[in-house]
Amino acid sequence: MKKYKCSVCGYIHEGDTPPAKCPVCGVPAEKFELIEDSSTQKKSKGFLGGKDSSAYIIFYSVVMVVLVAVVLAVTSLSLQDKQNANIMNEKKDAITASMGEAIGTYDQLINAFAVDNSGKVIESISADDALNMLFDLPAAFADGTYPVFENKENGEVVIPLTGKGLWDDIWGYIALEGDMNTVKGVVFDHAGETPGLGAEIATPKYQAQFPGKEIFNNGELVSISVVKGGAEEGDKHGVDAISGGTKTCNGLENMIRNCLTYYVPYFESKTVGANETNDVEPVNTESNE
Amino acid sequence: MSKEGKEPMFSAKNMQSFTNPFNKNNPVLVQILGICSALAVTVQVKPAFVMALSVTAVCALSNVILSALRKTIPDRIRIIVQLVVIAAMVILVDQFLKAYVYDISKQLSVYVGLIITNCILMGRIEAFALSNKPWPSFLDGVGNGLGYGVVLVVIGIIRELFGSGTLGGIKIIPDAFYEAGYVNNGLMLFPPMALIIVGVIIWVQRSKNKDLQEK
Repeated sequence: MKKYKCSVCGYIHEGDTPPAKCPVCGVPAEKFELIEDSSTQKKSKGFLGGKDSSAYIIFYSVVMVVLVAVVLAVTSLSLQDKQNANIMNEKKDAITASMGEAIGTYDQLINAFAVDNSGKVIESISADDALNMLFDLPAAFADGTYPVFENKENGEVVIPLTGKGLWDDIWGYIALEGDMNTVKGVVFDHAGETPGLGAEIATPKYQAQFPGKEIFNNGELVSISVVKGGAEEGDKHGVDAISGGTKTCNGLENMIRNCLTYYVPYFESKTVGANETNDVEPVNTESNE
Repeated sequence: MSKEGKEPMFSAKNMQSFTNPFNKNNPVLVQILGICSALAVTVQVKPAFVMALSVTAVCALSNVILSALRKTIPDRIRIIVQLVVIAAMVILVDQFLKAYVYDISKQLSVYVGLIITNCILMGRIEAFALSNKPWPSFLDGVGNGLGYGVVLVVIGIIRELFGSGTLGGIKIIPDAFYEAGYVNNGLMLFPPMALIIVGVIIWVQRSKNKDLQEK
């Protein structure tokens, strides 16, 4: 059995000869074209048994996937350096921004290093290594290495923060003045908090609440709390929460507290000259980890 | 299929596949495709705009590639083939954005990845690219991408203006208004509002185009 297709209306006629007249649109027999039915198609198309055979499909998918993989891998590898440089610049800018310094001043101003559990500087970690830790901060914290970014000119330090918001990761930088207590400024960012609600933590307006707050109270780390209903006037350790963004705010509060806890020995080693009573504290705070 | 004959590059038929998506065949308003992302990225104008451009690029490129490949694609796995091509294009666009316009790519964050799930892409490939030559498919892709983009930007403008009082991040509504008791509409920031706006735009469009009205 052969199949004929009307070239005008697409009607398919089955039979050994084309019909004298198309039953649908009425054109004569010469307008019909012979088309091969699927059974003959398979045999006639040589390559791996034709377009619809399993062999062809498997071959097609393998080739396609390998090709796409190669293209993507090549692009990804060739653009990686540029992308990392962008991310690095962003982190550097965030660090200087949290101190209130201008964009692009990182290289002149900042001395990066890492400290360990007892607050001692780890000599084997270079400034670049400390900066690179920011790519995977949770892992660096888990390893017991805590990067610190110090302003060479006035002794302010920036502590990187990492935590979880409502939907995804949140992170940030908190800059402390030379007394390791007063907050100089903060920068927060997030991967996917709700716009207009939780995402407000990334706005300058929200972050403007933090400068001047204090993280220690009588030598004990109290961090900064996010207060629902609004922090009271003059509260040194509290900032306003965001209505509708409670989960993100809780995440923010935990992030600041958890991350600062790692650095308590370091803060105390820095202030030991100024305030002798802090000397005994490390034993207590270390157990918090 | 080879009997299509030579058509001029900008023949009436080709131009139609480009201009139709702006009006009588708008992907969002008439075909009701891509609604999901129209809700997600229109809180502000800027991401809506860049999203529109990215969708246009991906839609045009994947249309051309799949139209060129259309005779070799086995029917049974054509959806998978389409997905692979679209996904590859989206990842390429994302990588380039990250490397060369990092700021914009940061703004778009997850939205670029969401292009993969945009129904317009698959819809146009299934409906047009697989049965047409690469050049008309390209026009169709660009037209649909832009037709989608226009709606997105319009919704973005409305939502940002009334939801945050800004446009493209620039303050529009003067402080005096706020002092006089004006309050930003919080509902505008939520996706349901976008759906309502889409509905209103569809209503306006249909009341102007009689032939779009169902009897």
